[in-house]
Amino acid sequence: MITSTDRGPGESGLYNRIAVLRAERGISRQDLATALDVNYQTIGFLERGTYGPSLKLALEIGEYFGLPVEAIFSTRPLEPLSQQVYGTAKLKSTA
Amino acid sequence: MKAELVLMGKRVDMAPQNHRRALVALIYGTLAVLMAGLYWLDGWRTTGYYLVFATFLINRLLLGGYNFGGLIKPFSGKPPARSEQAPPFLLLALRVYEPGPARSEYRSDERELAQRDRAHYQAYQALASVLAILWLLSGWSAFAPHLLTWLPVAPALLVFGVVLASVVVALTLPQAILLWTEPDMEEAQ
Repeated sequence: MITSTDRGPGESGLYNRIAVLRAERGISRQDLATALDVNYQTIGFLERGTYGPSLKLALEIGEYFGLPVEAIFSTRPLEPLSQQVYGTAKLKSTA
Repeated sequence: MKAELVLMGKRVDMAPQNHRRALVALIYGTLAVLMAGLYWLDGWRTTGYYLVFATFLINRLLLGGYNFGGLIKPFSGKPPARSEQAPPFLLLALRVYEPGPARSEYRSDERELAQRDRAHYQAYQALASVLAILWLLSGWSAFAPHLLTWLPVAPALLVFGVVLASVVVALTLPQAILLWTEPDMEEAQ
């Protein structure tokens, strides 16, 4: 799955983890859209970073996932969650 | 924006951008042909009004924007009051399909409101240009008619034609811009 984290911040200038969090919790775009009272298309635009949410919507997204806003949105590239939780791990050498 | 239309009982998928662009091109092509045809009929004396009524009908059935039929949600951003009575065109099978009339279906979210405002801004720029042309034409027609002697029609009629076209464009352009520019619609899952 390609997210704005993988390919740059998109037009909004924001990196985000919405797609990762949604996939991790098995939530469809429609489910998230219904919970946030937005169109499901808007979720796609947010995930790709094409649209930057208002502060209210960003806070609501944070509230929905139970995470602070800065864990979901950033102006700088976001580290993978596993790396953030367990620290930098060295890749196992295949040589 | 709705992802499909049902016209004459047939569902038309409007999720792909190229389908929506084709619809916009078809609508403006039809309106241009209609305008030319109506000029041929009576020089828009009476039929000019029919063109505006036809534009209202196109908005109601296809484009939306100013009511809760058509592809674009109402620009008011508020859920419109629904009548219990079936609209008369239901009997003619011309009614636009309105899937699951949940009230939020007609309410724009913040991104859609931003898109709506951008489309109106772009439409305003186009209409301002038309207004400038109109100002020049009417000025020449009133104060320097010798500049327009090469025209095949009377300058006053040309001014009327530009005004008529402007009304049609003003009623449809924001919706057309939205349909034209929004990318392919994705699956909800």
